[in-house]
Amino acid sequence: MKQILWAGGLIIALSGAAAPALAHHSLQSEYDINQSITLKGTVTKVDWVNPHVYVYLDVKDDKGAVTKWAVTTLPPGNLRRGGLTRDLLGFGETVSILGFRARDGANLAFLRTITFADGHKLEIWLGDATKENP
Amino acid sequence: MTKHVIVAGVALLLVTSPALAQRGRAGGAGADASAAAAAKPTPRAADGHPDLTGVWAGAAETVKALAPGESTRILFPVRTGPDDKRIFDEMDRAAKERQAAEPNKPPYKPELTEKVQLLSDKRQFNDPVFYCKPLGVPRMGPPSQVVQTPGLVVLLYQGRTTFRVIPTDGRPHNADTDWTWNGDSVGRWDGETFVIDTTKLVEDSWLGADGWFHSNKMHVVERLSRKGDTLTWSATVEDPGVFTKPWEMTGRTLRLNPNPKALLEEDPPCLEQDGPHIVTDDHH
Repeated sequence: MKQILWAGGLIIALSGAAAPALAHHSLQSEYDINQSITLKGTVTKVDWVNPHVYVYLDVKDDKGAVTKWAVTTLPPGNLRRGGLTRDLLGFGETVSILGFRARDGANLAFLRTITFADGHKLEIWLGDATKENP
Repeated sequence: MTKHVIVAGVALLLVTSPALAQRGRAGGAGADASAAAAAKPTPRAADGHPDLTGVWAGAAETVKALAPGESTRILFPVRTGPDDKRIFDEMDRAAKERQAAEPNKPPYKPELTEKVQLLSDKRQFNDPVFYCKPLGVPRMGPPSQVVQTPGLVVLLYQGRTTFRVIPTDGRPHNADTDWTWNGDSVGRWDGETFVIDTTKLVEDSWLGADGWFHSNKMHVVERLSRKGDTLTWSATVEDPGVFTKPWEMTGRTLRLNPNPKALLEEDPPCLEQDGPHIVTDDHH
């Protein structure tokens, strides 16, 4: 899938004064950006709540044992402004999630990308807005 | 096709800075547009006072939901490169820079500055807003919507789906009311300015994320004035328990939502789940 920058997208640009202050707390204090993790499983619950939306996932290993994971992301208001609604977060679907794992070793990650069974993706990216492929 | 959407911290800032959250929305940013809005005639209520009624927040257009199966990329601009492993650090650093540059800090008594710093350093564990407590008056800033009626002015805040009912019939403060996050308010007109006097504010709230605590001696006077399609909010905070003198909060001017059919949306509930997983003092 080719990324077409800006095409067809809604762009909500803010002034420099409103530079992003992500999250109600520091991501650095909770997640390790050096620990990428990929989780494949079924979305069992979507918590469409402030200050962060949570997606819960049942991940099965080769022997069928289920491990429960929580994946958190932006506040609902931000997702909403990106055109997302809670029913687009894959409740009941099998998805693949790429995230940054929590530092404390819990089954918790900060969402980078959800890839759905049909191949479409939801990406949350913190990066340089001037670069074409963040 | 992948949509590429920048949502530069609007709602996130709602938590820590209603000012930034509301500025630059309703109708977009720009001094020219603000001047044009202020130059419009100021509507008046039947009693001759300016009519503050209107939606003073939100986007003019409802955001269209993605179609099922449509991809999207939500981008938060951060200055470091996309694969740079310092993005989280950079976000904290930029936020700290903004905080350090804050020109209008409350005038705390000298013996309390150390306490403020300690609270600020550990804000991740102390700021009530982090743990889903209300912003409270005056941290909540200006209203998202005003409904002005004879005898009552109703202030609506989209954040945390909050309301305040301000009597304007000349009654005194309610001596029997309990202490709350938004306190007990009475309103009056001072010429063209609507003045809200608030007492009985619980000492659990903060005035800002930098450890700006207060005592139960706090008394807040807010002012709302409408000029054309702009609404200016300011607040004076008196707290002889912690301040050496009254503190003028940084005021804000909002523009009327240009969509006459704009409606506030319910804010989803707040359920804090991160606190137990915070393992360092990093903060922004």
